[in-house]
Amino acid sequence: MSSLTRTLITLGFSDLEKSERFLGFRELADIDRDELLTALKSANDPDLALQSLVRLLSAVPAARGRLTAVDPETGAAVPNEALFRLLGASEALVDFLIRHPEHLDVLDTPASPEPAAVPQGVLRDSLLSSVCASPGAAVPVAGLTGTEARIALRTQYRRHLVELAIRDLCAASPQDVMPMVGAELADLAAAALEAALAVARAELAAQFPAGDVAAVKFAVIGMGKCGARELNYISDVDVMYVIEVDGAGLPDEVQAVTVGSALASAVSQTIYAPEREPGLWEVDANLRPEGKDGPLVRTLGSYLSYYQRWAADWEFQALLKARAMAGDQELGERFEHAVAPLIWTSSEREGFVASVQAMRRRVTANIRDSEAGRQIKLGKGGLRDVEFTVQLLQLVHAKNDVSLQQRGTTAAIQALTAAGYIGRTDAAKLDAAYRYLRVLEHRIQLVHMRRTHLMPTAPDQLRALARAVAGPMNLKRPSAESLMEDWGRVKRQVHALYEHIFYRPILASAAHLSAADAALTTDTARARLAALGYRDAVGAQRHIEALTAGVSRRAALQRQLLPVLLGWLADGVDPDSGLLAFRRVSEALGTSHWYLGMLRDHQAAAERLCHVLSSSRLVTDLLEVSPEATAWFGNDKELRPVAFEAQWAEIQSKMSRHPEPAEAIRLIRLIRQREVLRTAIADCSGLLSQDQVSKALSDADRAAVLGALLVAEADVQAGAPALTRVLVVAMGRQGGREIGYGSDADVMFVHRPVDGADEVQAQAQAKDVVAKLTSMLTQPVRPAIMAERVLSIDADLRPEGKNGPLVRSLEAYREYYARWSSPWEAQALLRARPMAGSDELAADFIAMIDPVRYPAALGETELREIKRLKARMESERLPRGADPARHVKLGRGGLSDVEWLVQLWQLQNAHAEASLRTTQTIGALHAALALGIVDREDAGVLEGAWRLAGKIRNANVIWSGKPSDVLPSARGDLEAVARWCGYEPGNAAAFEEDYLGLTRRARAVFERLFYG
Amino acid sequence: MDRQQEFVLRTIEERDVRFVRMWFTDVVGSLKSVALAPAEVEGAFTEGLGFDGSSIEGLSRVFESDMLAQPDPSTFQILPWRGTTEQTSRMFCDILTPDGEPSAADPRNVLKRTLARAADMGFTCYTHPEIEFYLLKSDRPGPDGIPIPVDQAGYFDHVPGGVAQDFRRTAVTMLEDVGISVEFSHHEGGPGQNEIDLRYADALATADNIMTFRTVIREVAIQQGTYATFMPKPFSQHPGSGMHTHFSLFEGDTNAFHEPGAEYQLSKTARQFMAGILRHAPEFTAVTNQFVNSYKRLWGGGEAPSYVSWGHNNRSALMRVPLYKPGKGQASRLEYRGIDSAANPYLAYAVLLGAGLKGIEEGYELPPAAVEDVSALTTAERRALGHHPLPSSLHDAVRQMEESELMPEILGEQVFDHFLRNKRDEWQDYRLQVTPYEIDRYLGVL
Repeated sequence: MSSLTRTLITLGFSDLEKSERFLGFRELADIDRDELLTALKSANDPDLALQSLVRLLSAVPAARGRLTAVDPETGAAVPNEALFRLLGASEALVDFLIRHPEHLDVLDTPASPEPAAVPQGVLRDSLLSSVCASPGAAVPVAGLTGTEARIALRTQYRRHLVELAIRDLCAASPQDVMPMVGAELADLAAAALEAALAVARAELAAQFPAGDVAAVKFAVIGMGKCGARELNYISDVDVMYVIEVDGAGLPDEVQAVTVGSALASAVSQTIYAPEREPGLWEVDANLRPEGKDGPLVRTLGSYLSYYQRWAADWEFQALLKARAMAGDQELGERFEHAVAPLIWTSSEREGFVASVQAMRRRVTANIRDSEAGRQIKLGKGGLRDVEFTVQLLQLVHAKNDVSLQQRGTTAAIQALTAAGYIGRTDAAKLDAAYRYLRVLEHRIQLVHMRRTHLMPTAPDQLRALARAVAGPMNLKRPSAESLMEDWGRVKRQVHALYEHIFYRPILASAAHLSAADAALTTDTARARLAALGYRDAVGAQRHIEALTAGVSRRAALQRQLLPVLLGWLADGVDPDSGLLAFRRVSEALGTSHWYLGMLRDHQAAAERLCHVLSSSRLVTDLLEVSPEATAWFGNDKELRPVAFEAQWAEIQSKMSRHPEPAEAIRLIRLIRQREVLRTAIADCSGLLSQDQVSKALSDADRAAVLGALLVAEADVQAGAPALTRVLVVAMGRQGGREIGYGSDADVMFVHRPVDGADEVQAQAQAKDVVAKLTSMLTQPVRPAIMAERVLSIDADLRPEGKNGPLVRSLEAYREYYARWSSPWEAQALLRARPMAGSDELAADFIAMIDPVRYPAALGETELREIKRLKARMESERLPRGADPARHVKLGRGGLSDVEWLVQLWQLQNAHAEASLRTTQTIGALHAALALGIVDREDAGVLEGAWRLAGKIRNANVIWSGKPSDVLPSARGDLEAVARWCGYEPGNAAAFEEDYLGLTRRARAVFERLFYG
Repeated sequence: MDRQQEFVLRTIEERDVRFVRMWFTDVVGSLKSVALAPAEVEGAFTEGLGFDGSSIEGLSRVFESDMLAQPDPSTFQILPWRGTTEQTSRMFCDILTPDGEPSAADPRNVLKRTLARAADMGFTCYTHPEIEFYLLKSDRPGPDGIPIPVDQAGYFDHVPGGVAQDFRRTAVTMLEDVGISVEFSHHEGGPGQNEIDLRYADALATADNIMTFRTVIREVAIQQGTYATFMPKPFSQHPGSGMHTHFSLFEGDTNAFHEPGAEYQLSKTARQFMAGILRHAPEFTAVTNQFVNSYKRLWGGGEAPSYVSWGHNNRSALMRVPLYKPGKGQASRLEYRGIDSAANPYLAYAVLLGAGLKGIEEGYELPPAAVEDVSALTTAERRALGHHPLPSSLHDAVRQMEESELMPEILGEQVFDHFLRNKRDEWQDYRLQVTPYEIDRYLGVL
């Protein structure tokens, strides 16, 4: 390895081969290499600096004289820091010097660690003079027009830009000077617009009477970053134009608008139209009323009437940055004053909360995949996130506090801190994060003067960027990795600060803390809670107070955690009841060490808990009586459904330790309740599919029924000989293991007398067992089980329905089915699945019913009868007054339609096709599809409708705690159900349309295939 | 309170308005009205006016009876026929659910949704209706069961001292008084039949105007001791009352239908729009021709278009490209001739525009133009040329609409459902009738 290569590495070069080659070029022949290399060290990107130097020297040999500067203290010649920093930071600006060597003197700008800003007035005068306009004139008019004016103006602008970039690059801390740089960039843009306006006035003299042009007052209002005086190096400049006619008589408003529009487009041309010296930036007037379709200029009155009548919420938020920037200062200021009240009262407008939430979603919404991980501006923890946080606080609080009425982000952070709306520490962090991100953005844009908000990917670019962000005083050489780490930390911090900054002061006010935190007044805190979606802000404040008051460890911890938790709760459908539920759970568990530990250390669990509490009444109710289940949130293993066998083992051990039937059955019912809760939590946490939920729930039911059966048999047969064994057969959706929360257990009871037992006595005993089993599962127990959702036993699907005997012997069934069976009974048997009792009896029962439910042939008469029965059910079973379109079970295209159709196919074909012999609707539907009984499209519609209907049933229980078979129509309920079904917030109406459409199509399929 | 609302309240005060009527429309297009005392108006602006929606056809489900009517201040208008003292005024309302969301079942909202969709595609929609109606001596038929018209004149006839001419003069004046510009008015083909053409306006304003128009015409007729009917076909032997409507789409301020040099100066957009309407016409005929009686007009001969076809200035076609006047590119438009005067204008315009936009979205191909009189062709010829018939009865139309996927998309599932239910009931009622025709024809011979 040659020593040069090593030196280059030490100095931070990346592309050694290329740089060595450049060092050999003749342009550098007469320069001392060591001095040159030392000088290049100060550049953020030495490779780039070297290449740019060669280009500069080859095009402009005169630049040779600028390589060194005179040290003002020692008088010695030292490397020109300004030149080398610029060379290593911006190709585009070096290009400018190559194009305009007459401006090389700008390189004499002294390098200062704490540069001062150039006053606004100086910039304005300089740019006006560049187009030969008199800066002192009330309405300056340029002496140059057209190409000449454009080139002069743009060149002068860029000269100032280079000078500013040098001061920025030489500053000791780029973060410290960032606000100054942003402000000066905005001032420079304003000066350019002022000069362009002077040019426009001169150019218009050719088209309009001079008096008309002179009489039109014209003000340029800066919007966005330019308005806020925190502009980027390169960015569109957002503006709006206000005009007014000066003096009476002279041009009427129509003519004034014509003149004004001509001025505006001439301004834009002067700045941006193609020319030998490239355009500066696009002058973007699209934030104006009516956007692209609206007139380019308006009078003040016209703006106001638009804002009062038509403007949308975001337009007021955009006005927050509006500032009189160029043109008629007095008119511009009148505009500022006139719109100010509109901005600061916009938080009172209807829909403000919703629009804020939508904005927040947009801010943190996922960005394009190709840019994920590279975006500095958008996404979680980006610049937008900071700006949103600050603006939202301003909008919520500034109507009562004028000190907050600031345009710039850094200024607003200061004002919010000074007035006590943000804690000092948080404010400092937020401010630092914002400056850091902005400097990143500035340095990236500076290289090619291109609008970009993406991190570079090449390692050498990252390394250069890392040095640029750290500033010249940094001793350690930062690496690409350290840059990405720092950036990642800032992003995380910004995102976390949102919750902290927003909610923390609410706590402080509620908990009467006197810490370094900002303390809000009660009203201010309420306004903030309301802006975040808490409907009952007073109640919320009470809960917060209860949660954070006192000196207990719990209160102390909750003071730390609540800011984040409040944010999560606010994302749910019903933040208010979520907060109340959280308070209850917390009060019940507050002293358990694991609870606090989980909240503190297990963020995912805490988030999940908040989400469930603010969207599920069912879980909230159950958690209140068994708060210890909260522990499951932190542990996915605990949330896995417990297998039937495991539940059964637990029940058996409980039964052996508690032989007393009342006690045993109570424990069995508690186990079922616990498993339902487990399933519900897992379901809410997105860990289970719909099928898994149904299976878990039916396992819990099965374990409970089996336990109850054994207890009942033991109880009835205690002291008497056992005459018979009972089998419980699940029917209906229970048989298909397709139940939801709060479903009944549809069953049928079968018994078989033991050998030699008297049939009549055996029947009587079986009846006793069944009666005992039913009452044990449904009657109240002591001590009562709180919040229990009793498993009701429904045996109406037995032969002869309600009129038939509750239990029959296997033989009686055999006889019955041989002689009497009607088609609906065969159909009901399709979903018969033995669920509790002896395996042997179960097998015999199945063998007995198989020929009934899978008949060799379904006769015309039977077919007709089934169809007729379905038709009658449709008109009779639907509850009075229910809308068939919204009834998910019996309504059009609902569960019942799909199930009857599938069962019809089973009756017709299952004898021949074993794949159709299943108790599950979807299983049978898939089999029918495979067999070609139904085509793919129809099957898809049927399955979609069936699944969605099932989901809605579950959602109803989960959300309201009450089973309901109707698609809710109240908007709040509908919203909750829609979110449960996977829709984004605010899409209740779309969800309703989708459901109605899907079931309409399912009904059409059903009618075609079922009735024929 | 915005400026328009303030304006309304101030006008009520200054003009001594005693009643403010809140107007809205049910699914079949009947005008509903609630009168408010001026003191209540402010509350109605901010909170809406609660009413029981369950008793309004199609507006609500049986169990959701609380709805809100929120007046649209831009539609405020003094009603001139109530005299100048103790004036009455009206505003059109949007119907909201109790949660303040636009009701899915409000026809005005259906049209607004379609227009919003058009706006998303970059279009504003303009319409221009030609409304026909009959002036009768009274609302009771004569002794022979046939209505009695006020005169026996024909198309463009000038009737000296005629009732109809007087009527049109008063009516047009009154329409102008309520801010509806009239382009044209003349005597139509049937005895007592008149046509008044409204100036083109954006589709929502036109639909509001049609609702107002019907009221004004009826009021003026009553004042003059006559009766005006918008029934699609009151006389078997005379032409029915249609509501031909011209459509045009604008992108910014250029007419999107116009393309200089193209065939009939029609742009691709216009051709696709027309193709959309033609393809879906059989599906939406139940909306544009919504009564049993509508099909007597559609199939009653004369100029009524019964087959899916289009033509350049062909008066037998369902859609017509009006004669192009050089230099009038902005006036390019397409005329749909199927709608009758009794349609619900909100729904009718929504389905027509929706079908047209669908054509643009999907890039439908326009079939060739019909050059000869479509009704004079033989059935086989029409089949060969692809001129399918429109539904032949309300029953037929309902069946075709049921099959449609586009209609529920445009109308929303709820309006779609209610509308069909209402129409099935109407057909059911009609089927139960034994008509005078049957008595005449069969009683004597069977």
